[in-house]
Amino acid sequence: MTRREAAPAAGGASRQALTPWLFLAPGLVLFLVAIIYPILSAAQMSLYDWNVLSAASSKFIGFDNYVRAFHDPVFWTALANSGAYMVLTVPPQIILGLGIALLLKAKSPAQPVYRVLFYLPVVTSWVVVSLLFKYLFADEGLINWLMDPSMAAPISWLSSRWAAMVAIAALGIWKGIGWSMMIFLAALQGIPAALEEAATMDGANRWQRFRVVSLPAIWPAMAFVLVMLVIGGFNVFISVLLMTGGGPAQSTEVVLTYMYSVAFGDLDFGYGSAIAVLLTLVVFVLAMVQLRVYRTDEEVSE
Amino acid sequence: MKHARLLGAAAAVMALALAGCGTGTAASSASTAGSAPAEKVELTFWGTYGNGGNSAQTTALAPLIDSFEKANPGITINYVDMPYDQLKQTLTTAAAGGELPDLLRSDIGWIAQYGKLGAFAALDQAMPDFTTYADAVYPGTLAANAWDGHYYGLPLDTNTRVLVTSPEALKAAGLSKPPATFAEFTAMAGKLKGTKIKAFADGGLGQWNIMPWIWSGGGALTDDAVTKASGYLDSATSVAAVQMLVDLYKDGQIPNLIIGNQGATGTSDGLPGGNYASILDGPWMVDIWKQQYPKFTPNYSPVPAGEGGSVSVIGGESIVMSTSTTHAEAALKFIRFTQTEEFQLAMAATGQMPVVETVGTKAAEQYPYLAAFTEQLKTAKARLNIPEASKVDTILNNHLTEAFKGSVTVQEALTAAAAEIDPLLAK
Repeated sequence: MTRREAAPAAGGASRQALTPWLFLAPGLVLFLVAIIYPILSAAQMSLYDWNVLSAASSKFIGFDNYVRAFHDPVFWTALANSGAYMVLTVPPQIILGLGIALLLKAKSPAQPVYRVLFYLPVVTSWVVVSLLFKYLFADEGLINWLMDPSMAAPISWLSSRWAAMVAIAALGIWKGIGWSMMIFLAALQGIPAALEEAATMDGANRWQRFRVVSLPAIWPAMAFVLVMLVIGGFNVFISVLLMTGGGPAQSTEVVLTYMYSVAFGDLDFGYGSAIAVLLTLVVFVLAMVQLRVYRTDEEVSE
Repeated sequence: MKHARLLGAAAAVMALALAGCGTGTAASSASTAGSAPAEKVELTFWGTYGNGGNSAQTTALAPLIDSFEKANPGITINYVDMPYDQLKQTLTTAAAGGELPDLLRSDIGWIAQYGKLGAFAALDQAMPDFTTYADAVYPGTLAANAWDGHYYGLPLDTNTRVLVTSPEALKAAGLSKPPATFAEFTAMAGKLKGTKIKAFADGGLGQWNIMPWIWSGGGALTDDAVTKASGYLDSATSVAAVQMLVDLYKDGQIPNLIIGNQGATGTSDGLPGGNYASILDGPWMVDIWKQQYPKFTPNYSPVPAGEGGSVSVIGGESIVMSTSTTHAEAALKFIRFTQTEEFQLAMAATGQMPVVETVGTKAAEQYPYLAAFTEQLKTAKARLNIPEASKVDTILNNHLTEAFKGSVTVQEALTAAAAEIDPLLAK
């Protein structure tokens, strides 16, 4: 007893203050080293005509790289394509993910099987499914054959900007549905059965029950899914790189593939970093706006 | 207390490691001067010999490395085969981390870019007997290693693109031999009209793809001193050569693979598969088709000749030494070994065309299938070796794609491309 009481006195306030930090340390150190340090380095590199060689010195050029991005038509095309991908993929993932979650909510022996089947694309490698979709959408691919088995005038899906973006978005939706389904399913299963029963007793039909009971209950999950999907949409990379390579003539370039080709193709790491910083800012602002919108909604409803 | 001590130790280790990284290059130059020959040395050598599932080249390389190690006790060569697509990224990451290999088989198109960066050592300064080796190789292959007054590598192997035609397609066009001129080439396309066979296919519109046509048509990318593209890339002869391809494209005789449709059938499958009548390709295809389409026996003939003759593009690889090697003496020994007849002739058996003139003649006699390529190399020209070469390819690709799609004329596309290339040459 005495020892236990003596300890805080001897260790003083400093030890007590240190303890939470020590518990935080493993995650915090990893976060600082793997996230914060690279972000700061990229911000620094974006202000230089950066020479990638470890021992070399680089020339400070201020905001020249940002000015260059502002006047670079390919950068704007890439940003527009990333935005288009986000707009094309986020609503279907939410609607279809929620729809499947509602279907799977009912207890049935087949439910785990379907859950696994819909979730399988989520855990499959991006590289594998990108190549798979590239062949599905090839000129002599399955999609063209299904649309017209005679293959008289096959569509070159990957040869024009918007047809290619549709193919890339189709992959994104197919691969992402399982993830939003999983979040919605968890949220739906958290709704007390009594609420639904009460609504049924009051004579609410299926749609009314969904609108006034289920939807408000899963609203926080909806906010989370939306924010994560928007961030994910802007970060599309592997599927574009493997399906079109940003071509033809850089018309399907997205921000990350363009950044990659500037940095690793032209070895222009300063400009590549500036593009990365700009993308970070866009995503950060979008996420902040969404969080603000949802926060006020919640406060109003409470 | 315990935590503090651990943290302190970790910080000290980190500091040491960081200091080690920083001084790595400085220490290397000092230690190479005094390295004793008897020292045990392990050299790392990166290459892409196994690219395209081509095991023939890596199989040929292994006994050569054994032979070198036997002749030079104390030196071991650790060859690491890299996928071609990833080599440039890995190389750049390695340069940033100061972890470059001692030796590298580099594409000749990268020499200027990495030479400027300071990743590759200037061999004419590091190698006292450089001129002996430089004088022995084909001048065109050596020139590709020069940048800003220095040589950053020695040629290791060379290649070029020739016209490869499918015998079935020729039969369908009623021809007994591959088209030798622009006129015969367009005539073949005319006869194939209405069949399922497209006259010609290629996978892009960069220098590697389009320059053989422009040069053969009598055009050029820049002036001889490489100071200006305007007036050369957009000259009447350059425009006419590209116009011929654009006309074939609009006529449905060239597939949209050429403007970057990743969904189209590739050239290496489309030619043996009967989709395409002709492509331009290099000597490595011989082995690849032997493995994948054993029944396919294509014709190899010179690029169709226009007003400028039959002029193709030089490709190939060089052997370079990184600036961060700590064993320059040993690395140079291996570089000298790659220039010997033993090395060059053994690799020639796998389609790696020799760069040493005396060996080149021997190889052509020994391996008849190389003859078409050896002949084409006599007039072949090099691409631009400037650090911004990759940007030149992007510019050509983007503008020519618009011309092929018909949204601008060939003249407009080439004039715009030349205007964008000019400032890159002035740098």
